[in-house]
Amino acid sequence: MATNGSSATVAQRLQKELMDLMLSPNPGLTAFPSDSNLLHWTATIEGPADTPYASLTFKLTFEFASTYPYTAPTVLFKTPIFHPNVDFSGRICLDILKEKWSAVYNVGSVLLSLQSLLGEPNNSSPLNGQAAELWDNDPEEFKRLVLARHKTPEELDAEAL
Amino acid sequence: MASDDELAQLEKLSNEWEPEPQGPLVGERKSSSAITVEYANADPIYRIKTAALPQKYAFFRTCRGDGHCGWRAVAFGYYEALLRGGDANKLEEEVVRLRSMNNLLNSIGFQEDLYEDFADEVYELLRRLAASLRAMDGTTAALLLEAFNDMGRSMAIITYLKLLASAWLQNHEARFADFIIGYPSLKAYCQHNIEAAQCEMDHLAMQALAECVVKAGGLALEVLYLDRSEGTEISPYREVPENVANPPTIRILYRPGHYDILYKAEDFAPPAQQQPIPTQPPLQVALAGYTEEFVPMASHLSDVMTLIPGMYPPALGQRWPSLSYDYNSSPAPVPTYAPAPTPAAPVTSSHQDFASPVHASYAHHGAHSHHGIHLEPPVTLPIHPPPPMSLDRGPPLTLERTAPVERGGPFRPSVYELEPGFGGCGQPHAMPFQTSIFRNSHYNTAHFLNPDFQPEEWSPDTEYATGNRGRHKSTSQ
Repeated sequence: MATNGSSATVAQRLQKELMDLMLSPNPGLTAFPSDSNLLHWTATIEGPADTPYASLTFKLTFEFASTYPYTAPTVLFKTPIFHPNVDFSGRICLDILKEKWSAVYNVGSVLLSLQSLLGEPNNSSPLNGQAAELWDNDPEEFKRLVLARHKTPEELDAEAL
Repeated sequence: MASDDELAQLEKLSNEWEPEPQGPLVGERKSSSAITVEYANADPIYRIKTAALPQKYAFFRTCRGDGHCGWRAVAFGYYEALLRGGDANKLEEEVVRLRSMNNLLNSIGFQEDLYEDFADEVYELLRRLAASLRAMDGTTAALLLEAFNDMGRSMAIITYLKLLASAWLQNHEARFADFIIGYPSLKAYCQHNIEAAQCEMDHLAMQALAECVVKAGGLALEVLYLDRSEGTEISPYREVPENVANPPTIRILYRPGHYDILYKAEDFAPPAQQQPIPTQPPLQVALAGYTEEFVPMASHLSDVMTLIPGMYPPALGQRWPSLSYDYNSSPAPVPTYAPAPTPAAPVTSSHQDFASPVHASYAHHGAHSHHGIHLEPPVTLPIHPPPPMSLDRGPPLTLERTAPVERGGPFRPSVYELEPGFGGCGQPHAMPFQTSIFRNSHYNTAHFLNPDFQPEEWSPDTEYATGNRGRHKSTSQ
């Protein structure tokens, strides 16, 4: 794929998105470039109330290719999460991050989609079969496993050291 | 046994694999006979349909098959058709008109700060092309091609068209909602099948673009569907703007899963025949550049070219007819086939044969199946000593310029001209020839294959003066 001249527009676009996120922050969502590299972002989402993920915070990473926004960013859960559509490496199965990606989506809309995915998993094509089954049949056990797997940002940082 | 992780990795790789698309994003304009050649070994329906193609659509331009080719073809065709109109003001008007459609985009909920990057790219190219037209710097065509071969810029333009198409459909929900099957709403359909970055243009998107971009911009859209449906010609589909006479037309060739751009020869007619606008010369320059480029290619293709209806082997020293409508006027290749009694392979090269005795016979034309139409039963010509042929072919060069005018525009020799009785029925003027065999042979100076071809002496009046359309009619009577 030719990338001539497009990395400048990637930077332009990401700066605009960053500005937008800072000027009109969404409750429960944060996103900011990590280090000095604008193509690499760290984000957090809070679990929606009335879901097993309520009051839990999840850390994610975004990586943008030079073809962004014409290709989806690569998004990974860094906080371990027990969810039907996320595998144990944090990879996410969500159509808008794959074949349904559109250039009018942005970091904010992806985070909002992920937040709603927490409360409404797509159990027809699970990456984590056990989670899908428990979600449907045993909410108690599901919640227990969510909490057992979760780590707070502080714990994650401590591990990284 | 690989671990789940490895399997997942492998699956991911295999899901993401796709053949690397070849070629430029938008290619140079080529003779559409290349399409015929491509399908020479395909099944009969495709073969017949593509065989008829180069006669009506002289040129084509490829778009890279990367899943965006339909969008790209329409986008490129849009700019090119505007350029063909030759009016720099029109391009600037388009900027204003497209800008006014921001309301349409906003009404669907697209964020202006997200789509304005894409829109700016569209306006910017319109403005630069307008400036180039005004300056008559001759770089207009190159500017356009360069912009579309820049991945970032062409993707921005494509994305803008996607958003416009989606917004247009959603704004006309009553008309389009019934075409949606398997989606909860038209909006969901548009999000998945039009706005998605990796999705090819579908019928609804094509219709939307035809309405909000092409027709509203005073242009026409023609889509040719090359599929396996019945018939001998590619079925066309046209969208024409109201209240615009002779709109510049975007022509798209659709083959299942792929779109390319087509042109008729008259799309590039000499500027004198179009509106006398001083901004035409740059287009002419582009045409000349193309012509030179095509000639060397012809030498590679000359063998397969003989398979194509309306094409004849180039004679020695003769320039290959690089523009199809020049063909009839270029010095007639005196039939150069070797006198083989049995059907020869159609790929006999003409260059050696040229030196061999000339035994022109229609049996040969038939055997070579140059035409998709059956000729008369074989007729053997009375063999006379061939008329002296000059190899330098000085005189015919003058014909080259005058003939297209006399023949009424883009036209290549028709098979009907070879048929006995052609054009003869009911003609008042007396033919100076005694037999139909002679009259239809190239020894007749009125025959287009004759080196001293003089059409005006042969057909001074009646329908010949009106151009070739009348001829076809007369033979079909």
